[in-house]
Amino acid sequence: MGRGLMIVVGVLMSASLWGCGYNDLQGLDEDTKAAWSEVVNQYQRRADLIPNLVATVKGYAAHEKETLEGVVEARAKATAIQITPETLKDPVAFEQFQKVQAGLSSALGRLIAVAENYPNLKADQNFRDLQSQLEGTENRIAVARKRYIDRVAEFNKMVRYFPTNLTAKFMLHMEEKPNFTVADEKAVAKPPEVKFN
Amino acid sequence: MMRAPSLSRVWRVPARLIVLFGLLLNPFLVSALDVPPLTGRVVDLARVLSIQDTEHLSDQLKAHEEKTGNQVAVLILPSLEGEPLEAYSHRVATTWKLGQKGTDNGVLLLVALKERKLRIEVGYGLEGTLTDLRSARIIRNEIVPRFKAGDIPGGVRAGTEAILNTIEGTYQAADDAVPRPEGATSALQYVVIGIVVGFLAGLILSQGLRRARALLGAVLSFMVAQAASLVWGVAAAGVTAVLLWVVLSAAGGRQRRRRADDWSWYSSGGGGWSGGSSDGGFSGGGGDFGGGGASGDW
Repeated sequence: MGRGLMIVVGVLMSASLWGCGYNDLQGLDEDTKAAWSEVVNQYQRRADLIPNLVATVKGYAAHEKETLEGVVEARAKATAIQITPETLKDPVAFEQFQKVQAGLSSALGRLIAVAENYPNLKADQNFRDLQSQLEGTENRIAVARKRYIDRVAEFNKMVRYFPTNLTAKFMLHMEEKPNFTVADEKAVAKPPEVKFN
Repeated sequence: MMRAPSLSRVWRVPARLIVLFGLLLNPFLVSALDVPPLTGRVVDLARVLSIQDTEHLSDQLKAHEEKTGNQVAVLILPSLEGEPLEAYSHRVATTWKLGQKGTDNGVLLLVALKERKLRIEVGYGLEGTLTDLRSARIIRNEIVPRFKAGDIPGGVRAGTEAILNTIEGTYQAADDAVPRPEGATSALQYVVIGIVVGFLAGLILSQGLRRARALLGAVLSFMVAQAASLVWGVAAAGVTAVLLWVVLSAAGGRQRRRRADDWSWYSSGGGGWSGGSSDGGFSGGGGDFGGGGASGDW
């Protein structure tokens, strides 16, 4: 039996050796960057919709100044911060990005809630179209974020697991990437309520 | 030193168990719990469509795919069972892989009767033509009025028609040939390559060599496949090589009958691997979805 045992041990040892993970780490790093680009892309798309939306609401509810200005301001803050894939490693900048986007989400939510009080606005074809585009974009953001979360989780696992952590640390100098937090994820899973009525 | 046949007998049961577990864990066979199997272009789990309706719709969708390559499917559910509409719809669309790989030209029309909600989920490649806006208008103008009047089949028919008219001619297949579902084929190819590699490795190394070397040979083929990162190929090569090694070790020095038994057992196991990915004529082509489309209720 000693011989059989030796074979098994040999197999297990070689099994742990072939996976140094160099290619996998590089591949996953690229994947996370691509997933991140998609997230930024969709947030940008949302930002692009806002001027039109604000203009339409103004036509019917110009005196809701505070809410309208809140959206414009939040949009300005959100578009001022751009995180490239290279600066993604910085948890502080990442946190900042999350914060301004969440701020814009809640400002938009308030704007939609206000619109509920104006039947003429709600019936406006242009407003309804913008609403469905906004809704679609929120959904795309949710999908893009989920993909990013999954990719980063995969990447971070490789960076922490033995033996690929050695490759990541000493050969590639890679570190864990920051990810969207759970509380934040919950907020996004519930997009601002937009209804056609 | 140990006698070979007894060693292989010791190994046989665990090897079979490992293969069985492998089959059970195979995602081709055990798909995500809540996503229904893709039994056709129209999956009516709520049974609201008549047989004629279902056939007519399926034919229409099939003709459209043959003409343009776009894959459109309809799913009607009795209830979402508490799942959020958008998340569920995206999961179904990506699990079914509607649309061709690379062009991502799939569309899913999902209707949940109990919640009175519906969604048009649009693949990446069609987002430019079937925009969120157009999807929302189809829902608002074509489907919801009919649903409100209680005419579910009529709403589904009109909605499908509008979707097809919108995306007509946006994507031309390279030839007139029916596009092949590439995603499933490439995964299957890896499995087949893996089985062949493992088979050869196991066969050659078991013949006239010591069992220890045969095992190392199997491991070697496993590693080669791993290096090429053919995930399914790896599994298939490993399983085949080890299995073959076990079978041949057992067969060596025994009667012919035993060998025949093991072979038939092996080949039925092999059939299970490939059987999982075919589904009665229609399968997704490997398209991806990024959350485009629109939702509505009635």
